[in-house]
Amino acid sequence: MSVLELKNVNKTFGKGHKKVEALKSTSFTAEKGEVIAIIGPSGSGKSTFLTIVGGLLSPSEGNVIINGSSLTDLSEKKRSKVRLNEIGFVLQASNLIPFLTVEKQFKLLDKVKKNNMTPEELKVLYEDLGIEDLKNKYPSDLSGGEKQRVAIAKALYSNPSLILADEPTASLDSDRAFEVMALLRNETKNKNTTTIVVTHDTRLIGYCDRVFKMNDGELRLES
Amino acid sequence: MFLAWNEIKKNKLRFILIIGVLMLVSYLVFFLSGLATGLKDLNRESVDKWQADGIILTEESDKSLLQSSMNLDQVKEVNADESAVLGQISAIAREGDKKANIALFGIRKNEFLMPNVVEGKAFSKEKEVVASDALKEEGFKLGDTLELSSSEEKLKIVGFTNNARFNAAPVLYANLETFQEIKFGKGQNSNMEEQINAIVVRGNIKNSVSDKDLEVIEIETFIENLPGYTEQNLTLTFMIYFLFIISSVIVAIFLYVLTVQKISMFGLMKAQGISNLYLAKSVIAQTFILAFLGVAVGFILTLLTGQFLPAAVPVSFDIVTMLLYGIVLIVVAILGAVFSVLTIFKIDPLKAIGG
Repeated sequence: MSVLELKNVNKTFGKGHKKVEALKSTSFTAEKGEVIAIIGPSGSGKSTFLTIVGGLLSPSEGNVIINGSSLTDLSEKKRSKVRLNEIGFVLQASNLIPFLTVEKQFKLLDKVKKNNMTPEELKVLYEDLGIEDLKNKYPSDLSGGEKQRVAIAKALYSNPSLILADEPTASLDSDRAFEVMALLRNETKNKNTTTIVVTHDTRLIGYCDRVFKMNDGELRLES
Repeated sequence: MFLAWNEIKKNKLRFILIIGVLMLVSYLVFFLSGLATGLKDLNRESVDKWQADGIILTEESDKSLLQSSMNLDQVKEVNADESAVLGQISAIAREGDKKANIALFGIRKNEFLMPNVVEGKAFSKEKEVVASDALKEEGFKLGDTLELSSSEEKLKIVGFTNNARFNAAPVLYANLETFQEIKFGKGQNSNMEEQINAIVVRGNIKNSVSDKDLEVIEIETFIENLPGYTEQNLTLTFMIYFLFIISSVIVAIFLYVLTVQKISMFGLMKAQGISNLYLAKSVIAQTFILAFLGVAVGFILTLLTGQFLPAAVPVSFDIVTMLLYGIVLIVVAILGAVFSVLTIFKIDPLKAIGG
């Protein structure tokens, strides 16, 4: 069973002559252990794709299936549960809560969700991502690279089956960007999850198993 | 509570300012409630001391003790568990340079209106009075001889009693003969000397009077009809109620501004699947913490202030009332947070994360 399956999904905005097809009819699957890149210029429909996959936006037509369950028919409350239990987000501007220390970012997840990593697993994750010395720091005390590493750890902490990363390296220099991508790839392989990275940075495609190109709302396999 | 408390700890200054505003509002509410209680006591404490259920006045007096006048014999027609006669006049008492407004109560020593004596002794003959200890604050003391503005008679303070003010005036308790001599003059008119103002009764008051010229009224009604009492209470009560509304609006504005500033953060959390309910609980918990701390500090500050106020300020803190107002303040603050909760419910995580 595929972790993610899109069946003839499309998304249009507006009506009549103002109608814009942000995502043309798309079918897509992602398997366990895969790192997939979606590349394309700004406004090509990458973010629309990602937000539909993440259950933040409903498609106009078609079906999104995560681990065999259709996301499209669910209420917002149930989609929210799917996001909490099945999906880890790594966002461009980091998904850290500004008033929580790194350690407490994980405690928050413990408050809202069960079956997160054990303390021992978290310790290993801290070490893998090189953030063990940052536990008592607030996000404002972290560099861009450190923030993204913590964000990746946070996305992985709840043992999601799917990680969605939206321009995760946008605010980083080249060295840091490669470091973050390497981490994402390693953790995806180690934990046998699936990662979809949306980016316009073609230098990162070397870290991905499959690369899709989005152009004017049309998704095509590149390599 | 986790998010709420951690945010407060991280942004101490911001939240101390909000707590400070809530503290000032609660301080004002507590102080006004103390003032309201103090002014109430000032009017009614001598009446409360009777521990009576009703008072019989003439029907034409319109529930005014001073305007009521009846014959002493009419007490025989009263049917109650206990009854006590009462005569009252208002006057200015003077001793040397000292002077004060007083209410003179003419009573029978063996009836229940006789007050407890906390200093000195009870009156035992004419021209002796037991005075409210509030007069001590004006400089009066045991053994002082008082001249009354409405009489040639002189009265000697032989004892003091506590909690004895009537309509804001300290009470002098004397026997009925003294009262009648002061009110009507000695030997002026033998019929008039039999006059009293009221009969105070205990027990079931419903059928306590059969005389059509008399009416029995409940003590609480009697107090509410004391001159200025209800108007004064209503004014202070309205001020307190307005402060409740104001504190609710203040909290609503502060929290709304804070929530608007955090829309993208709430959106991020919602995108990650954290439920509206969890975020709403967090905002409510934060409001509770802020309101509780503000009210608690206001409460302590009010009690501390009370220790340093001069005796002339009629403030009396009723802890039960203050606790009740404190709870109301916390509840209205939480109601003020409802706006923020609704805002969180409306946040679209997609927009919040820039989708």
